[in-house]
Amino acid sequence: MTNQTDQHLEDIQAIRRLMESSSRFLSLSGMSGIIAGVLGIAGALGAQLIITRISAPVDWYARPFAEGPDGIREFLPLFVLMAVVLILAFSGAAFLSTRKARKSGIKAWTPVTRRMLVSLLIPLGTGGLFILLTAGTVPAGVIIASTLIFYGLAVISAGKFTFGEIHWLGVLEVAAGLVCLALPQYSVLIWILGFGLLHIVYGLFMHLRYRG
Amino acid sequence: MKQILANFNKAFESRVRLGIMSVLAVNPAMDFTGLKETLAVTDGNLASHLRALEEAGYIRMEKSFINRKPNTSYSITDDGMESFSSHLKALEELIRNQ
Repeated sequence: MTNQTDQHLEDIQAIRRLMESSSRFLSLSGMSGIIAGVLGIAGALGAQLIITRISAPVDWYARPFAEGPDGIREFLPLFVLMAVVLILAFSGAAFLSTRKARKSGIKAWTPVTRRMLVSLLIPLGTGGLFILLTAGTVPAGVIIASTLIFYGLAVISAGKFTFGEIHWLGVLEVAAGLVCLALPQYSVLIWILGFGLLHIVYGLFMHLRYRG
Repeated sequence: MKQILANFNKAFESRVRLGIMSVLAVNPAMDFTGLKETLAVTDGNLASHLRALEEAGYIRMEKSFINRKPNTSYSITDDGMESFSSHLKALEELIRNQ
């Protein structure tokens, strides 16, 4: 009878393992979170430099980024900077996650990976378009807050297909975005803490917990 | 004990069948290649277990063409989901009762 119990126990364990590995992207690298955080902080500091260099008034956060006839030209370096940071962070995550998958002998590109990316890109793409379409009319502080809010929603949505812990990262990103809306004068600082620091803390935690 | 064994489904006795049901229970659908890679079994072995589960009405098969290549996709039926979860409960009961 004990043998049979062992057999059932093994069955249950195998079932749980299969359910988990076939429905979740478990190769997401914690290290890529740290990299995203560091890149985010560097990007935010760069953005702050650009903002102050274009002789921004003290209440720059209450005015649209791309205001007036020169607006778009002034907004362009910021937009390029945001795009570069996003692409670097995304490539870093893709590279490290592929490597982590290879090391543990599993495939990185699976139906789950595709489902995760789609649920990440729908809110993220919506956010990107929202920012492009409103940068000329909506106050800069609101734009900065909306990057955090849309990103947080994207993380919550993609989180269903990867480690459960990432859900809380998304919730905290959305919360940081809402704080940012309430205190727009501190939006760059809130962004550095809310995106940069949170990603570094989350990445370290996941790196230590899941080794990779 | 008798009640527990009543829910202990013969159709799920094989590891491969348990594996197929586990994967399809948490995924809306999966194709033959996906199942093969996830479960690490041979074509013939997988095909025969899939056929048995399909005949029992626990899973359904859907044939389609993706870029002119035939693609066979499998998903769990309501009946399959119900039987699989009672089987799981029975397994857990058995372990708890030892």
